[in-house]
Amino acid sequence: MKTLNEISVEAACEKARKQTGNPLALEMLFTRIYRENKEAAPATRELKCLQVLFPAIFQPIQAGDRLAGRIQYPLVSFSAEAMGLGYYCREGEIREVARLAAFSPEQVREVEDMLGFWKSESTQARTRAAYPPAVEKALPSDNWTVESGIAFPLYRMAGTVLDYAKLMQAGIPGLRRELEQRRAGSAASKAQSDLFAGMQAAVGLVENACLHYGAQAEFEATRAADATLKEQLHGISRTLAGLPHNPPATFREAMQLFWLYVLLSGTWNYGRMDVYLGPYLARDLDAGILGEAEALALLQSLWQLMHAYSNQFNNRVFVGGMGRANLAAADRFALLALEASRSQSLNQPQLSLRFFAGQNPALMTKAITSLGEGRTFPILYNDDVNVPAVAKAFHVSYEEAVDYAPFGCGEYVLDHRGVGTPNGVINLMKCLEVTLHDGVDPVTGIALGIASGKLDSLATFQDLWTAYCRQVEYHVEALAVQEKIEYEVVGETSPFLLLSLLYDDCLERGLPIFQGGVRYLGGTLETYGNINAADSLAALKKLVYDEGRYTLRQIVAACDANFHGHESLLRELRRAPKFGNDDDQADSMAQEVHNHICRATMAQAAKVGLDSYLAVIINNWANALFGKTTAASPDGRLAGETLANAINPSPGMDCSGITALLNSLVKLDPEIHAGAVQNMKFSRSMFTQHRPELEALLTGYFRQGGTQAMITVVSRGDLEAAMREPEKWGHLMVRVGGFSARFIDLPHEAQLDVLHRTLYE
Amino acid sequence: MNENNTGVVFDVQRAALHDGPGVRTVVFLKGCFLRCQWCHNPESWSPEPEVAVQPDSSGQYRTFGSEMSVQDVMRIVLRDRIYYKVSGGGLTLSGGEPTLQFDFCRALLGAARQQNLHTCLDTCGHNSQETFAALLPLVDLFLFDYKLTDSQAHLLWTGAGNELVLSNLDFLYRSGARILLRCPLLPGINDSQEHFEAIAILNQKYPRLHGIEILPYHDTGHYKFGLLGMDPPRFNTSVPSEEEQRKYRQILASLGVQIGN
Repeated sequence: MKTLNEISVEAACEKARKQTGNPLALEMLFTRIYRENKEAAPATRELKCLQVLFPAIFQPIQAGDRLAGRIQYPLVSFSAEAMGLGYYCREGEIREVARLAAFSPEQVREVEDMLGFWKSESTQARTRAAYPPAVEKALPSDNWTVESGIAFPLYRMAGTVLDYAKLMQAGIPGLRRELEQRRAGSAASKAQSDLFAGMQAAVGLVENACLHYGAQAEFEATRAADATLKEQLHGISRTLAGLPHNPPATFREAMQLFWLYVLLSGTWNYGRMDVYLGPYLARDLDAGILGEAEALALLQSLWQLMHAYSNQFNNRVFVGGMGRANLAAADRFALLALEASRSQSLNQPQLSLRFFAGQNPALMTKAITSLGEGRTFPILYNDDVNVPAVAKAFHVSYEEAVDYAPFGCGEYVLDHRGVGTPNGVINLMKCLEVTLHDGVDPVTGIALGIASGKLDSLATFQDLWTAYCRQVEYHVEALAVQEKIEYEVVGETSPFLLLSLLYDDCLERGLPIFQGGVRYLGGTLETYGNINAADSLAALKKLVYDEGRYTLRQIVAACDANFHGHESLLRELRRAPKFGNDDDQADSMAQEVHNHICRATMAQAAKVGLDSYLAVIINNWANALFGKTTAASPDGRLAGETLANAINPSPGMDCSGITALLNSLVKLDPEIHAGAVQNMKFSRSMFTQHRPELEALLTGYFRQGGTQAMITVVSRGDLEAAMREPEKWGHLMVRVGGFSARFIDLPHEAQLDVLHRTLYE
Repeated sequence: MNENNTGVVFDVQRAALHDGPGVRTVVFLKGCFLRCQWCHNPESWSPEPEVAVQPDSSGQYRTFGSEMSVQDVMRIVLRDRIYYKVSGGGLTLSGGEPTLQFDFCRALLGAARQQNLHTCLDTCGHNSQETFAALLPLVDLFLFDYKLTDSQAHLLWTGAGNELVLSNLDFLYRSGARILLRCPLLPGINDSQEHFEAIAILNQKYPRLHGIEILPYHDTGHYKFGLLGMDPPRFNTSVPSEEEQRKYRQILASLGVQIGN
């Protein structure tokens, strides 16, 4: 399980170890070309840089591939999110490569020169340099994975979902034609003309990719001994041959064009795939050009390429849901996609099924079967709740909300109409912790937030609540400003030609995606520790303010001591009401915390000039990483233990049955955020012996307002056995937070996190 | 029905899938006439709330049973109404022997009936016929235990003979009750040919039975004897293996009994 980032870094180190040729040659060339074009129009500069990268960073077709397209990135280049923000330079890894390659002093000097250049020129560096003092103060560090803190910025333009239907319809020649016409249009300004010209040339890169892989496939075919392999390679080259001249006509051509465009543009979430690929599949099947088995093999191959592309958080594919054109064809594709995921146990792509009350039931039946087999896919999204919720949260019409498409770990975005990159993280448990220490981080002793009052001044629960809210709001305000600045810097720096080309309304406006082109420029804020903060506040309210059995000072002192010598208090804190048990006291506190963070985030959009700024309650590793730097908390969590995962109860704290858990989950308002992840862990016997009841539980949950479900199916004892004997459990797939993984690939903390969750059987 | 009626409840289990159809809430009422030596809920025997005499594994002295009103119970039960509706589930009263707290039991069933919930009564069948006659209109499905065929053995292992149980079964059946017969199976105690044949005879005698289930012995509740300061019963049985369970089903099938679980 590795991100594209990690795969690319490893490849660079490997190259360096071999010490054949200069492992940083491409980085040097990229830097030189950038420098030569530093003062050129951003579109021109970006194009020149892309021309350095492509086809150089394409990786060879591998035996068994039925479609072409593999990639690895250098340590200096340009990406939306895969390797870094915009023009990036991976300084630490470059030094490591230089060390491994045993560079000469002359080469070291060149490397240092390059690093020196990017130190102030990388898009990330330019973004941080643009922070006003207030943001600098609230967000002092970028090193969120290691340092203790409340809030941190993230650097990326994540979660773009392109207009693939347009790509299919126009093909390479159609895109060229449209750009030619727009360029020739009398209204086009110089900047617009530069932009359109840049895009036209970038389309040329797509054509080049077809030629590059076509030639490679032919060449490999001549060398292939095996007849099947030979035919597969000929198949690839035949598919590629037509693409420069005509829009795709077959399922295979459509998939191939889609995939090459994905790799060139650097995006990695794919929106409503059944809508744009369904018609090609149906046409080929009906015309007898393609058999079901062959279609499945092609899609499995695409899944494998996604799995190889980046293997952790992204690769979201959506099928099903309201508002799909060509419904019958889309359903056929959806069923094929479900089968492709069921029949090969891969942790990518993250196949997700949208559904609603009137949908073809075959899709859900197939989905439940796949989940029951332990695939973790598809992830289920309830349109009956989500579409109206998205309309409200994003302030868009119902018709536009119908095209919501979660990306990454579960952040909602409007397919090819909006962006909402999550560029900040906040740890709400840390917010409460710092509030209980008058603005000081007890882990480091450093003043972090605002001094919101000594403990003695928090005489009522309302005082404590107000102080906590102020702490949160202070950081959220800085994060929103930061997000807007990041967009501004990126907008000035790079047009992202291939993203802009397939994004509403960039062509109509003649503006790049992040410089006024995209129809809805939104942002998202990743929130963590929400449930720990809520459970902690509920425990403090009960034991200190309602019952008066302890003072606030006593409980804070016990947390500071990590409960050493305070075992009976720890037991009482753990017995206090906890979210996830359908307990009104605990759940209403979770609602308060949820409403507060979501509304505080929402309120920033207008202030900073974004179309939306929304909280997301998702999870990657952050609950474990933030947990490490968060002290013991009044919910009975020990210092360093993981925080609760996304919007789920703290591990093992939901002990009132699955219906109680589901009832708690639906209490949190879905109309004020851009995605919340619900993980559920079921025993296999629920799917084999109690499938009607299991389906009833899910139906009841969704009818009550459940937005989505990420389902892990394991047998009792599987996880412990897999920790003892990992070599025997390579097949065991689990849903960690907003992503799936082979259980044995997870770090120890994440394994424990999954293990300690309540298993419903 | 009196909503202020109270009773002693030792557990409320939500999302239960094994005590009646669909997704259910099972309310466990304290107090039992019988003393089945294999009982996995010995805390249900006494009708009064009890405090453990030993700490449990987390160092706590657990309390078994607390007084709850019909309203208290129904407030919890009704939270899962949607799941009952979509799954065909509802409320199950279990125990102990739930009919022992007759007024409370009837009030709960009445409250559930008023809310249009499906009701199950999990009973050992050892109570007066009048009791069952009074509850009959409020129960959609009886989960009726059939433990031992030989009355002497029944007396030995449970503290009472089985004549009353059998006559109540007959009464309920003839009164049109829907009955799921549940047979605990304990290796060495009742896994005899004679007992299996007796089950088959009941199956023939009562062709409109809703079904027959077997409940293989398990010892997961055994530790609770110690917590309660009771001597754990000593007898020769074991948790039946998958293989033994398969064998039970085969024998019963050969006698014409289809097992429903």
